[in-house]
Amino acid sequence: MAWLETLINGVLLGGLYALFGLGLALVFGVMRMVNLAHGEFVVLAAYFAVFLATQFPGVSPLFFIAPVALAAFGMGYLLQRLLLNRAVATDDPLTPVLVTFGIAVVLRNLMVELFGADPRALDGGALATAGFEIGGLRIGWYPVLVLVLAVLAFGALQWLLQHSRFGLVVRATSDHREIVRTMGVRPRHVYAVVMGLSLAFASVAGLLLALRTSFTPFSGVERLLGAFEVVIIGGLGSFRWALVGGIALGVAQLVGQRLDSNAGALYAHLLFFAVLMVRPNGIAGART
Amino acid sequence: MRPPSLVPWLGFTAAALAIAFAPTVADGGLLRLLSEVLITLAMAQMWNLLAGYTGLVSMGHQAFAGIGAYLLFVASDRLGISPYWMVPVAGLGGALLAAVVAPLMFRLRDAYFSIGMWVLAEIVRLLVAKFPLFGGESGVPLQAVRLVEAESFQQNAFWISGAIGLAAVAGVYLLMRSPFGLGLMAVRDNELAATSIGVNVWRNRFIAFVLSGLGFGLAGGAHFMGTMFVSPDSAFDINWVVTAMFIVIIGGIGTIEGPLIGTVIYFGLRELFNTWFAMSGGWYLIAMGCIAIAVMLLAPRGLWGLARERWGWRGLSVQRHPPPRDEASLSAPLPPSTQQGRTA
Repeated sequence: MAWLETLINGVLLGGLYALFGLGLALVFGVMRMVNLAHGEFVVLAAYFAVFLATQFPGVSPLFFIAPVALAAFGMGYLLQRLLLNRAVATDDPLTPVLVTFGIAVVLRNLMVELFGADPRALDGGALATAGFEIGGLRIGWYPVLVLVLAVLAFGALQWLLQHSRFGLVVRATSDHREIVRTMGVRPRHVYAVVMGLSLAFASVAGLLLALRTSFTPFSGVERLLGAFEVVIIGGLGSFRWALVGGIALGVAQLVGQRLDSNAGALYAHLLFFAVLMVRPNGIAGART
Repeated sequence: MRPPSLVPWLGFTAAALAIAFAPTVADGGLLRLLSEVLITLAMAQMWNLLAGYTGLVSMGHQAFAGIGAYLLFVASDRLGISPYWMVPVAGLGGALLAAVVAPLMFRLRDAYFSIGMWVLAEIVRLLVAKFPLFGGESGVPLQAVRLVEAESFQQNAFWISGAIGLAAVAGVYLLMRSPFGLGLMAVRDNELAATSIGVNVWRNRFIAFVLSGLGFGLAGGAHFMGTMFVSPDSAFDINWVVTAMFIVIIGGIGTIEGPLIGTVIYFGLRELFNTWFAMSGGWYLIAMGCIAIAVMLLAPRGLWGLARERWGWRGLSVQRHPPPRDEASLSAPLPPSTQQGRTA
């Protein structure tokens, strides 16, 4: 029975990982670049949520989701407009990699200097511990909420890209950056909105994760690697399968933790390697 | 082809002599700093060999440095052999790990290769930290230091670091003048064109990757032998790669001079920050990161690239020049003499 609980909790944790990966996959799909500072922005959002929690004590952290997401969107938009558009415009795939890695190092060390290296966490109050029982299984409300939010976010993004006018513009820009310019689309603006969305999704996940586990300025690495593994396991550029990838990763981590109490992350990494060996294009990708 | 200039070899000889006689004039602190400079130079050259000449940006080369260090510590202690002799073993360990993971890692392209390497380094770090043989999370001291003379240890460790630093620069220089180096640069500049004239892309990448693993293994082994203590967090520290990357970007990616200039700037700025401004390592990394971002966006060829454009400096250029025209070939148009791409 304990194993079944681990499995279910792993699925629910997977929802969070999937949200991390979603932002990374979105940016890669549209701009063909990977934001190596993804994890640092997630952690920065968590610090912002902690700051809000100290300003408004007694308010449930769930109310901070909207302001944190908005702030992350604004930051992503500015980041892309001011710095990353130049890197993308070089058409050398190395430039964005190196520039975003530089940003990650700067952000990580800035957070150490400004907030210190001590672990922080968000106090979820009653939400973090409340749960219900089904057939002898104890399941927390919080993981269920996370999974529901993750599925909603995936659905919303899917709808936005497939059925809205904005999604049409994004897909067209992704396919032919130069041609859409003749139709009055500004690729720089589209890219910036996409980066904003990516960081908004990731920061909501960062806030939700901060309710469950503590974080330090160095947690960004773990977040980035998790997001990356979700994308690779799910298959490049497939949003729906990124959710599956996230769940696989969450289960691997919690099962690993049960087998070997202090090395859960190792098993998640090993799962990634196994998938890379057997299905280099991910679960959804074509067999090679 | 013009015969290679003698100037680079005179430079290498002068550097070798300087390293040979440095322990007679420098004190312990300065020797330690110089060891670190030379080890870092070797790592920067090796990282540049991969990123600058094959386009593979690795964020996981700390795995090779760490494996080299742990091999040196454990092997010399278990086998009772002087740690000096174990430095080549450390290099071989790095090369072997690189050769084993290459087929897997090469399935990932561009940024995904970068992060895939990072995951690899995390796996190796977590595995090393798990085994009591390696001292677990808290690390191990170099017990085999009992096998060597204490008085000459620092001097010998410095010479080993110096040899590795010199060999990295000279090795990359020789490699890039060889047909193999030409093939590497051809693949980087236009993979399709290079393949169509018979360059084996995979094999070239593999050799460069294994060589850089060898270099990081040697450098990691030598560095931690000098500090006489190794722990998973210090050996598999991402900052090995951060440092190499900043040096290469600021100096000039895809050139041999770039890492040299970058290393001088990196350590010059670090000493300035530490001693004059008394600022912490964190602020120093922030400053270096901002400089690297600015260089990447404003002058992607780095400082050496700027110098070469403005003053036409040649330095350790591996560029080839067509033979002087003779009367017979005047009728045929000459191929363009400049190479395209980052080294042009």
